[in-house]
Amino acid sequence: MRDLYQRLHLSPDADEAALAKAIARCEHSALKADAATVLQADSRRAEYDALHDTLSDIGRLRARLGLTHAPYWRAGPADDFSLPPGPPGSRFEEWMQRLNLAARAHNRRPGRRGALIVLWLATLAGGAMLGRYLPPF
Amino acid sequence: MTAARFSTFELLLLQSRDQADSAALLLLAWVLTQQGPVGEAERAQLVSLTGAFRHGHALEPLLEIAASQDLGAIQLAAEVLQKELHGDTARAFLRLAVTLAAEHGEPTLANHHVLRFLADLLGVSPPEFAELYASQVGRALREPGDPSRQDYWQRREQRARDRRRETAGEEKRQQYTQEQADKRDRAETESPRATRTEARRQAREERAEAKRQRQQEKEQAKARQQAERDAEKRRQQARREAEKQRQRAEREQARRRREDERAQRRGGHREQRRDDESAHRAHERPAAPDPRIRSALTVLGLEPGASRGEIRKAYRRLAQAHHPDRFHQEGEAIVASASRRFQRIRRAYDFLMKVS
Repeated sequence: MRDLYQRLHLSPDADEAALAKAIARCEHSALKADAATVLQADSRRAEYDALHDTLSDIGRLRARLGLTHAPYWRAGPADDFSLPPGPPGSRFEEWMQRLNLAARAHNRRPGRRGALIVLWLATLAGGAMLGRYLPPF
Repeated sequence: MTAARFSTFELLLLQSRDQADSAALLLLAWVLTQQGPVGEAERAQLVSLTGAFRHGHALEPLLEIAASQDLGAIQLAAEVLQKELHGDTARAFLRLAVTLAAEHGEPTLANHHVLRFLADLLGVSPPEFAELYASQVGRALREPGDPSRQDYWQRREQRARDRRRETAGEEKRQQYTQEQADKRDRAETESPRATRTEARRQAREERAEAKRQRQQEKEQAKARQQAERDAEKRRQQARREAEKQRQRAEREQARRRREDERAQRRGGHREQRRDDESAHRAHERPAAPDPRIRSALTVLGLEPGASRGEIRKAYRRLAQAHHPDRFHQEGEAIVASASRRFQRIRRAYDFLMKVS
């Protein structure tokens, strides 16, 4: 499937006026006819948009997973829905890192709690001292 | 803590007794939501299909995540599956996904793409997947339609009209026979004069009906001719474009061949040295700093830091494999997609030759 919005230089949530203008401006006659048929009828546009969203999601997933040149994508929607392979963003590794962080924080916690208690006691004592030595109003 | 909180799906994975099964369940729920609204029947189908799973947590939160299209969770599930499933287990999972999507008729277009994504994810090649699909649901795997084109909607709406007319025709016929029977009954009891006027009226009605039908057919024929003419025009245009692209590609190839010959005449040893040099340079900085270089290398299927010689070799191999002329027999759409692939490969090669 082609990304008609991209080919018309529009954003997918463009309103009808912008759409009509872009279609009128389009110089490719076949693309113009297709866009008018598909996007200017509400029921068709709704269905097209749903599939457009799914394909954009799949394109994003494929870019993150390094599947932009896999056989089923290459021959089909790759031209319009492929994103450039971005920085390797493995969710799994990120999850593992966060688990490690959480585990380390968990192991450190008793010490930190002790420090907090000392700090709290010190403030209490300071408050009491101030109360005693400041002259009453 | 600065890191983000754990998401619902991450917590579920931590609870799960079998992470691969949890991840598979989320992706199956995703397939299910692409098929339409998930009701009690669909839920029951998913539960019965995944009876052997050992995740040991509730299904509801997974269905919610799938319904909200949470890409982060889906990506994590896909990575878990990619790590855990190989060979037969991967194929078993794909069978489940195919059953969910295609058991009650053709899968939705979205699911056509989701299933192909899952096949690519698990490293199942297209011929293998087509075979698996056919053996699972007893129909061949069809190419998904293209709703960005006019003729997709024309064909689909024509089909819907035909179906409506068929059912309407069926009803009319039933009504008609019923009326006839009624009339016969009445005629038997009424006087002969009444029968005659009744017969005349009937004949008139039949004539009007026949006229209406003829008119309808004429309109249909006109619409069909118009559609055919449009399609022919589009086909011709596509052919012209493909031809233009092919000529451009040929010119480009001829130019490159001439350049290569010139370079060879200038002396093989110099080229050899250049290859060595660039390999040396690549060694010095193994990670290509420019993301454009990296993506161009990915198009040619190379690792960062490939040498000029490797790039040229990869380009020759890919250009041969994807040259549009090879697909001449297989129809315009395939030729057009091949020429797009070919252009992408060529652009990547030109770019790499310019910068390295």
